[in-house]
Amino acid sequence: MATNSRPVVVRRMPQRLNLRAAREFLHELQPLLGVDRPQLVFDLSQVQQLDAAGVEMLLYCMSEAHKRDGDLKLAALSQEAAVMLELTRTERLFEIYETSTDAVRSFSGFLPNAMRQQLLHEKRSIPPIAA
Amino acid sequence: MEIRALILVNSATSQTHFPAAPLALLDVAGRSALDRLCERLQLQEVSRVTAIIEQGDPELARPAAWLPPGLEHQTVPADRFWRTSENAFNDLGQGSTDVVLLIRLGAYLELDVEKLVQCHLEGQRRVTRAMRERSPLDVFCVYGSRRNDAASIFRSRFGSCRGDWTPFPHEGYWNALGDSLDLRQFAIDMLTLKTETRPSGKEIRPGVWVAPQAAIEKGARLVAPAFVGSSARIRAGAVVTRCTTIEHHAEVDCGTVVENSTLLPYSSVGAGLDLAHSVAGMGQIANLRRGATVEVSDASLFGLVSANGGRKFWSSASQFPRRLWQAISQPPDSTLPPDREEAERTAVSVLTEPTADDKAAGEFAPSLAVATRRYGNQ
Repeated sequence: MATNSRPVVVRRMPQRLNLRAAREFLHELQPLLGVDRPQLVFDLSQVQQLDAAGVEMLLYCMSEAHKRDGDLKLAALSQEAAVMLELTRTERLFEIYETSTDAVRSFSGFLPNAMRQQLLHEKRSIPPIAA
Repeated sequence: MEIRALILVNSATSQTHFPAAPLALLDVAGRSALDRLCERLQLQEVSRVTAIIEQGDPELARPAAWLPPGLEHQTVPADRFWRTSENAFNDLGQGSTDVVLLIRLGAYLELDVEKLVQCHLEGQRRVTRAMRERSPLDVFCVYGSRRNDAASIFRSRFGSCRGDWTPFPHEGYWNALGDSLDLRQFAIDMLTLKTETRPSGKEIRPGVWVAPQAAIEKGARLVAPAFVGSSARIRAGAVVTRCTTIEHHAEVDCGTVVENSTLLPYSSVGAGLDLAHSVAGMGQIANLRRGATVEVSDASLFGLVSANGGRKFWSSASQFPRRLWQAISQPPDSTLPPDREEAERTAVSVLTEPTADDKAAGEFAPSLAVATRRYGNQ
C-alpha cells in the first residue's frame, strides 16, 4: 500500500461555530490552508452550536484544500454538528470518521476509504484455519 | 346517568425537550391530544369536561394559547396542581353527578366511555381503573359521591387508591405521549388511519390533508401521507413527504425537503434544507434517529414565525394616512443631528468596508456565502 510522508494537521473545532468564531478559526487556519497539498482533519467532538456561517466555513476550507490538491476530513462529530450537517445536506460532501485517528490513518493509504473498508471487511470475514 | 370528566395535564410524565407546553397540548395534525380527547368525551355523552393544567415555566408557558376554545379549565402552578384537582373533583361530584372520569394526560387514549361505565357499574367496587396489557393506565372511574376515594387517588398522584379497584381492559388506541418519539408516532398513526381521530382539515387527495387558509405555492409537492395546517405556507420547490405534519402558521421555504417530521406551530425552516426524522419547533430540532436535540439560533436555517405579524401589518397600515399627513403638513428636516449623522456614517462604513478580519480571511465572506446558501440548489 502506498504511503505518504506529508503531515496531517488535526484541529479541534471550538464549541460555538458561529460567524465570529468561524472567522477567528479561519484566520488561524490560513497558513495551513496555503501550503501545497494540505491534509487537514477537523475534530468536531466539542461542537455544541453550528450555524450557517460555520457550515460555510467548513465548505470553504474543503474547497481551498481541494484547490491545492489536498483534502479536508471531519472526525468525531458531536450530535449537534451531525444534525446540522444533515439539515444543510452537507454531510455527504465530507469524508467523516468516527475518530481523529481513523481520519489521520485514512490519509496514509492510496486506496479510497470505501475500498479500504471493503478490504478490511473481507479480511475479517476469512475464517481462521483450524489447527 | 350523568357522567362528568376531569382531565389533568401535567408535565411529570413527559420527557420532552420542548419546554413551553406539555406534549398533550401540542398540536398534532391540527389539534392537540387534549382537544381530541375532549371532543371524544363530549361525543360519548359526557356532560361536562374540566381540565386542570400545570403551569410550567411562567416565562415560556402560555397554556391558554394551546387550549381548545371553550374548554373549562384552570391553569395552576405545580405545587397547587393536585390540591386544585381534588377541589375540582369535589365541584364536579356535586348535585346529580353519578360518575366522574379522572384522566391524566400523559398518554392519549381513545376511550370507550360507555364500556368503562358499564364495567364500573357491574364491578360493584367504588373505583374502576383502565388497564392495557396488564399495566394500569391513568384513567379512573369513580362515583361522584366518593370523595375520599378520589382524594386517595390524587394524593398518591394517580399511583393507587384506597381499597380494591375493578380493572377495565382498554382495547382502543393508546399512545404514551411521553417524548418526542411518541409525538411523532402519534402523527404517523393518525395519518396512516390507525386512530379513530383524523387529521383536521380537508382530504384534498388520498392521504393528504390540508387545513383552511394553508398556502401551497405552485411547484411545491405534497406526497401522501401528509398534513398541512391552517395558515401554513409551503413555498415553491419544497417537498413534504412520509407522514410529515406541518402545523398551523408554520413555513417551509423554497426547495426544502421535510421528511418523516413534525413541524410545530409558528416554526419556519429555511430554504434548500433537508429536515428528516425530526420534531422541530420553538427553536429546537429533536432528531429522533440520532436521539439528539439541537438548539438552532440561526434564523436563516430554522426560526420562528411571528404570531402577530398580520396584526402588526394592519396596525402599521392603519397609521399610514396619519403619517402621510404629518409628512405633508410638516416641512422636511434636512439636517440630521450630529450624533445621528455620525452613527449613519459609521453604519455604512461597517457594511461596505472590509474589516481587518475580512482582509485576513482573504476571499472568505460568510455573509455572502450564507446568501448563496439561501438559494441552495440554483
